[in-house]
Amino acid sequence: MKFTITRERLQEGLVAVAACVPTKTTLPVLSNILLEATAEGVRLSGTDLDIAVSTVVPAEVDSEGAVTVPAKKLVEIVRELPSAAIRVTSAGEQRVHLECGRSRFKLLGIPREEFPSFPPVSFADSWTLTSSDLQKLINHVSFAASTEESRPILNGVLWELREDRMRMVATNGHRLARMDVPVSGGDATADLIVPPKALDQVRRLFGPSDELEVAKSDNHLGFRTGSTLVFTRLIEGPYPNYDQVIPRDNDRACTVEKDAVAAALRRVGVVASDQTHRVRLEFSGGTLRLSVSTPDLGEAQDEVAVAYEGETLAIGFNANYLLEILKYMPTDEVRLTFKAPERAATVEPVGWDDPASYLCLVMPLRLVD
Amino acid sequence: MGRISILPTSVVDQIAAGEIVERPASVVKELVENALDAGATALRVELEDGGRSLIRVSDDGIGMDRDDAVLSVDRHATSKIRIAPDLIGVATYGFRGEALASIASVSRFELETAPEGGDGLPAVGTRIVVRGGTLETVEEVARTHGTTVTVRKLFSNVPARRKFLRSARSETRAAVEALTVLALARLDVAFTLTSQNRTLVDVPRVSSAAERLAALFGRKAAEELVPVDHSSGYISVRGFVQRPADARVSGRKAYLFVNGRPFRNPFLIRAAEAGYRATIAPGLRPTILLAIGVPADRVDVNVHPAKLEVRFRDKMLVERAVEEAVRAGLRPLEAAAVVGGAVGWSGGHAVSYQSGPPDRLTGRPPADLALPDTLLDTASVAAQQHPAVGGELLQLFNTYIVFETPDGLALVDQHSAHERVLYERAMAQLRGEGSAAQRLLLPMTVDLGIEELEAVEEHGDLLAAIGFEIESFGGRSIVVHAVPNPHPRFDARHCLEEVVADVAGGRFGGLANRLERFAATYACRAAIKAGHVLEAVEMRDLLNRLFACELPPHDVHGRPTIVQLPKDELERRFGRS
Repeated sequence: MKFTITRERLQEGLVAVAACVPTKTTLPVLSNILLEATAEGVRLSGTDLDIAVSTVVPAEVDSEGAVTVPAKKLVEIVRELPSAAIRVTSAGEQRVHLECGRSRFKLLGIPREEFPSFPPVSFADSWTLTSSDLQKLINHVSFAASTEESRPILNGVLWELREDRMRMVATNGHRLARMDVPVSGGDATADLIVPPKALDQVRRLFGPSDELEVAKSDNHLGFRTGSTLVFTRLIEGPYPNYDQVIPRDNDRACTVEKDAVAAALRRVGVVASDQTHRVRLEFSGGTLRLSVSTPDLGEAQDEVAVAYEGETLAIGFNANYLLEILKYMPTDEVRLTFKAPERAATVEPVGWDDPASYLCLVMPLRLVD
Repeated sequence: MGRISILPTSVVDQIAAGEIVERPASVVKELVENALDAGATALRVELEDGGRSLIRVSDDGIGMDRDDAVLSVDRHATSKIRIAPDLIGVATYGFRGEALASIASVSRFELETAPEGGDGLPAVGTRIVVRGGTLETVEEVARTHGTTVTVRKLFSNVPARRKFLRSARSETRAAVEALTVLALARLDVAFTLTSQNRTLVDVPRVSSAAERLAALFGRKAAEELVPVDHSSGYISVRGFVQRPADARVSGRKAYLFVNGRPFRNPFLIRAAEAGYRATIAPGLRPTILLAIGVPADRVDVNVHPAKLEVRFRDKMLVERAVEEAVRAGLRPLEAAAVVGGAVGWSGGHAVSYQSGPPDRLTGRPPADLALPDTLLDTASVAAQQHPAVGGELLQLFNTYIVFETPDGLALVDQHSAHERVLYERAMAQLRGEGSAAQRLLLPMTVDLGIEELEAVEEHGDLLAAIGFEIESFGGRSIVVHAVPNPHPRFDARHCLEEVVADVAGGRFGGLANRLERFAATYACRAAIKAGHVLEAVEMRDLLNRLFACELPPHDVHGRPTIVQLPKDELERRFGRS
């Protein structure tokens, strides 16, 4: 294997791939990056066995071949090299020589045979979608997935593909985010449960205007543009029936200024219990009164003017859940709906000039006396 | 007529002797107390055959002249009080004037004494011999100042009592114990006890209780103790209690002193143990040494012939002060278990807990007993603040958190620590402070066994108070609509299943009451486990919460949450000291 590449190109490829190389692993080859010199250029690949990323960067290839190199060391070397042509040659199965100007490196790699092969996802049956739609979904939904390990299914994001829409749903059992994006002539129908980590890579690696090819095998999913590939393991199992927990009969609604409420939540949240972050909200007339009372610590109150008509309603929440949801709301004004202090509340954007529809839901925190 | 008659003096004395002189150990106690009241600075006790054939107590106290010496063996002859009001606030060990007469009535009794003459020279000494209560000899002898009492053939004229004596070995042990108690009360006096020419106790005069403890019980036992120093109103409580982690089922020692006077009181011992609440497993008995200081008029010591019991005017206050004192003593980091050698005993805790009886001659209560200054009191509370958990935190084996303290290295067991934190919170919640229950979007269904279902029904109120909102689903299933959310890694389903299994299986059955038992179960199951990788922020947060607890160094099973590696120990091992 022998090729010449500019430092910028190589770095571009490394940035794309290195992020999915695990820092701690029991399988040494996983901390390496696979370099393959082919007629089209140099393909760089990395994987942690759950997610694999592979990208091709242009290079002058003198002779084809492949080897794996320690990712961390390669990244560090390339970062320190001057902006010039880098000549990479392999010597035998494991040795790699790097030359750039008057700098010379010899790195000890691992034979390519040991590098895990990519999941067998065939792009023959792929469908196409606009990266910007997918990114919008990921940006607004992925945060709500669970990080706690007892229910693996909730660690994933549900991605529903239908003829006329794409939907993503994520929940940790206490709060939920759901977004629909209309599509015209969707050519696939599928329910996929995707790890948020993979969605992060997708969001990071593909530009908004890219046309993405997506393909699925039994338990893997592949994303592809011209030069870059992302594979991920899918989470198996039926996703909980989220639809039935989304309230349809919330009859009390309140429109609030997102930033004002978030600021007030952060203020009173200072005094909230570290463990539950409980904040009590009381909607009454045109006022939202926020209060916190934590034994051994103290109390806080704040008020925000809101548009609310109806009976006085007092309800408790984990302030962090509310703040997080408000953060992802795309509009300045948001609409909250309630039924009762022990029932789910919803949060939606008001006046969003986007064809997508977005809904978040948060379960109250009840005070047991 | 003629059926009732006044008893002769000798019989009266023997009856009284029955109350005061029960066995050789009580003779030792009475004689040693007399010696201490006489201002002795060094005391020798000799025993033979467990005290049956010989008990000799020698002191270097003020001694007596001839007339006093003769009078001293009469009933109710005492130098310690004069008129009835003296009984209130009596500060000497003795005051009833019964001991010598009683002892003399049941033994061959010999007393040699000499007061201090002018210019430090001894005056003429006196020797008295009493046999079975009858004064036989009074003669002059030459000796240095002080008194030596020799008691031979104890109970030779009371065969019934003699028959009830135990083996020489156990009588010796009891005598050693009697002396030990007094040796703990009076650090300023040197004590020796020999039996059959073997020295069993030999403690020099010391200035710190720690040294005396080490001399009496050995250094290792002394190292298991943590100091207690607490004031509450006019009551001061000082002394030492055993680290919860070292408490054992048997073999504990419990000593109580009030104004330097040893006494027994099971209620105060229980109060001290209550101070350990939820730090030791049920059934463990920690060693307790507490000196209680109260103004002399707040305690009546004249309620028991052998003065083993005292009566406090404000019993409840004293009990509460003792409990608070123990709790406060267990709170600081120093109360945490120690790796390796001695921590603190080198100097830090050289507290003298002595509040001995006032000097008989000046009659003033010791300075210790002055009412505590309220200002000082708050200052000492501030001084108990935990050391800031500064510096780097390191997680070892995904189980222990290591950090630097002012005096060394501290290792915290993350599970135990979290357990302690959650336990105290759970107790507050169960006592009605209220807890937060996170409603679930997707209610969880849990299948249980029959016993577990019963447990859920029986303890439904507690489960609800802690935040589990449970509804029966028919059959063996329950539906959970809301769960507590004590930390982000909390696994509600596991926690509930395990708590229910524990409660059904009667684990934690020994803890005193239902709330504590439940809180301990919940805390154990809800806490992060060993093996969880923690972020630096989480570790710091956990430590901060731990140190905000009432009793940071001990978990709810009697295991330590914190183990210290003192800097001294490190330096010793690296040969730097």
